[in-house]
Amino acid sequence: MNNLNESLKQMFVRLGSMTLAVAILCVLAIASVIGTVLLQNQEQADYLNQFGQLWYWTFRSLGLFDMYHTWWFLTLLAFLMVSLAVCLWRNVPHMLKEMRMRKVVITDKSLKHFHHLHHWKLGDGADMADVKRLAERELSGWETLEAEKDGAIYLRGDKGRFHKWGYILAHAAVLIILIGGWISVHYGFRGNMSVPEGQSDNEIEFLRGTAVHHLQMPFSVRCNSFHIAFYPSGPPKEFRSNLSIIDHGKVVMTKDIIVNEPLKYKGVRIYQASFGDGGSAITLKLFGLDGSEKVDTVKTRVYQTWKDPKTGVSLEITDFRPFNIENMAGAGQPKDFHDLGPAVEFIVRGPGLKPVKIKSYMNPFVYDGQNRGTLMEVSESGDGKDYQPFLLGLDFTNPKEWELFHAFVHAAANLGGSNTKEERFKAFNAALKQVYGDKRPKDFQDLGVRLLQGMNSLPRIPWPFIPILDDYDQVYYTGLQLTEDPGMNVVWTGSVLLVLGLCIMFYMPHRKLWLVIRPAGKGEGLEVSVAGMTNRNLLGFEKEFQALQARLNATFESS
Amino acid sequence: MSVALANQSTWESLSHGRPGFIRFGAYLGLILGAVGLAFYGSGGYDQQQYLFQLFSGQGLIWCGTGAIIGALSSAVLSTLRPSIADAKIATNLVSWLDGAALLLLLTALLAQFEPPKSMISFNDQSNLFSGRVIMTMNVVFIFSAVSYIAYLFAPDSFIGRLGTWTAWAGVYAGGSALLLRWHESYLINTDIGHAPVSNLYEVFILLCCVTTIVYLTLERRYQAKAMGAFVMFLVAAAVFFDIWLASVGEASIKPLVPALQSYWMKIHVPMNFVGYGSFSVACGAGMAYLWRSRLEARGSNARVLAVMPTLDQLDQLAYKAVAIGFPAFTLATILGAAWAAEAWGGYWSWDPKETWALIVWLTYGAYLHARVSHGWHGRGLAWWAVAGFLVTLFCFLGVNMYLSGLHSYGRLS
Repeated sequence: MNNLNESLKQMFVRLGSMTLAVAILCVLAIASVIGTVLLQNQEQADYLNQFGQLWYWTFRSLGLFDMYHTWWFLTLLAFLMVSLAVCLWRNVPHMLKEMRMRKVVITDKSLKHFHHLHHWKLGDGADMADVKRLAERELSGWETLEAEKDGAIYLRGDKGRFHKWGYILAHAAVLIILIGGWISVHYGFRGNMSVPEGQSDNEIEFLRGTAVHHLQMPFSVRCNSFHIAFYPSGPPKEFRSNLSIIDHGKVVMTKDIIVNEPLKYKGVRIYQASFGDGGSAITLKLFGLDGSEKVDTVKTRVYQTWKDPKTGVSLEITDFRPFNIENMAGAGQPKDFHDLGPAVEFIVRGPGLKPVKIKSYMNPFVYDGQNRGTLMEVSESGDGKDYQPFLLGLDFTNPKEWELFHAFVHAAANLGGSNTKEERFKAFNAALKQVYGDKRPKDFQDLGVRLLQGMNSLPRIPWPFIPILDDYDQVYYTGLQLTEDPGMNVVWTGSVLLVLGLCIMFYMPHRKLWLVIRPAGKGEGLEVSVAGMTNRNLLGFEKEFQALQARLNATFESS
Repeated sequence: MSVALANQSTWESLSHGRPGFIRFGAYLGLILGAVGLAFYGSGGYDQQQYLFQLFSGQGLIWCGTGAIIGALSSAVLSTLRPSIADAKIATNLVSWLDGAALLLLLTALLAQFEPPKSMISFNDQSNLFSGRVIMTMNVVFIFSAVSYIAYLFAPDSFIGRLGTWTAWAGVYAGGSALLLRWHESYLINTDIGHAPVSNLYEVFILLCCVTTIVYLTLERRYQAKAMGAFVMFLVAAAVFFDIWLASVGEASIKPLVPALQSYWMKIHVPMNFVGYGSFSVACGAGMAYLWRSRLEARGSNARVLAVMPTLDQLDQLAYKAVAIGFPAFTLATILGAAWAAEAWGGYWSWDPKETWALIVWLTYGAYLHARVSHGWHGRGLAWWAVAGFLVTLFCFLGVNMYLSGLHSYGRLS
């Protein structure tokens, strides 16, 4: 029994030991690195791709993909808490006692051990009370106590007597912060909600491990509108959602939130976290490429797939953006930002077609005042980074150009198709006359360039039609984050204590000073000794001690 | 603070005793006046307009009255109780406030060289005057580093003073350049205006200045001049990195993404750099320690050993620097958590930057435990200070460059 007690006691001592504390700090630091190098909480398939079977399962069984919530990491944190608690439990009583106890009388033996020590011999005429008075004047700023023993006067001075509170506060604060964190994890929640404009929702979803969880809120949130403001140079300036909180069927609050200004209702904070397209209505014009000059209109929405029943070609609309601001300047030149206008993104699939991702702009590409025709961007890989510009040549917003294109094709064919420069010019003139009559458009030279570009690029399109964005009715969704965190105030309390404790620890060193005045022997005057010590900032104390020594020197000499 | 620029004794007498105390009162009154303007000024407080308000007639009245009242009341106080004039808080702070006032004056002077407003555009920022001031800072800091290194091999007091002077000149150039950039960001467009701590280029200038200030303060207090070669070498390295950043087009003033539009940025970022700067100084002291201990082990009697601080002093200096940096870094991390709680919905998300801040904190926490409670000293801890700096370097540079996360302000969606 005794043995068990003994070993328990041993363990207790070990738990609070400094070696263990330093070891835990180091192990925590090293473990934390893993989670920053390995991206956390990604798709499992991506991990499998990246690491291969063997390592994927090794990492997964160690929980490295959601490392900061694994049992072993939490155990480490728990260890730190236990170690801190034991350390406090063992040391706080000592420290409190030490702060209360201020021994004034000091033995000669311990006086000799002081690193900072100085003696004076004063002449016969010196009076003890006078010397004491003079010394006390020089000790202003020190908290002094005095005592007399065996005919000697002892003065003790203290500065920063509450230094040990720094330790206590700082260590207790870390414990409090960890407890706050534990409360946050266990009694709080944090999840996301995507609400399209005009709709409402009352359920958040969040990831725990690899599974998505859902949680009902005690109220619902309606997104009345979402608005993005842009800087002239393109980057977003502000994301603003106008939200209404609906509780028991009644609107209880309507407020705007932006990124750094959340709203709070019933202890739940609602943050602007992201945004996206909420299913905008899209109207596409399909310009048939079978030579029939036919133009179809298709109405669909973002996130929907439209399928052509005749050809089996489908368009999956993935995104829509009303502004597309790009830097038009070449590398090294001053930047030059232009808004290319609304664009829709979709994936084209069909029998015998390689699926590609397309970004189709509504407006023609106008640069340097010259209309260069409708722009499309093509990404063969399906990744937004791989977009290549593809100028269609024709300006599809102008139906006459589509007409002109066909007139030109016909005219060229009628002329025999020898395709010389003169022939083409003749065909162009004929087509112009057919479409525009005698009123040639002013920019007919540009029109010629566009037409030639169109002759070049349109035949390269493998689909039965060219889908061009014609009209839209934009709807955003706002991505909200909803959190409730009862541990937050605990954490803030701990934080304040931590900073306070550290400041006391580092900037309020405990400096102690003893001044002993005693008769040096019969008729030989007085002997004055001053000794000092500090527990921090030795260099600073050295200076202070020397200054004090010099002042005392001057005082004793003049007296 | 700028004691090196003036004759020591005259300056000392100006910042101690009554003259210093009265000036302290004036600065305090001025600050209170500025705060009063923010709260009670006509037109109310508007973040975008406050700076302009401060320099308008109304601002001058508020701040001027505050300064006069402050100066008068401290004059009266110090007459009634002469001992109060030696209050530590006043004598310690007044030189810093002097330095800040000098910096503001310098900035106001340099702002006169800005091109006319019609010539300022977002697309071409090459004509902004801050660019030239930053170039000056670069040159001056590199010169200072060279002087300090020369001082090691030719311990001549003039070379040493040259190093200190140019280091101070660099601090003032860098500080005023940052303030100018702040002003310029508003000149370009009030919508774009923001504190100059929003990208790597700007914070590197801040890092150079803070590191130098921390070092110079320690140098002045503890006569540790020869350590400057190591610290200013690090600063010079940062300067070269900044020149490289400018050469790849990272130097322009860019508008703030929504996540950064918060008053927290002005507090959190500079506070962090007090930490980073101090840790760099600790690294400099650690390197000096290791160098000296190698020289001593070889039994060298190089002249430099006579001017360099002793091993014990270097050990203390490294600790001093950490003692400045650790509380500052702790506070900065807490402020960051407070900002995260306001912007991202949680005070801690295990985002790479946060986690690395924790790692840095743990590293220096372990350093302090090993030193203070274990009584470790010497080479081991000097290595620790150097290694700790490498961890710090990764935290504020490596994370931005190699790891993704919430601190890469690329996009919101």
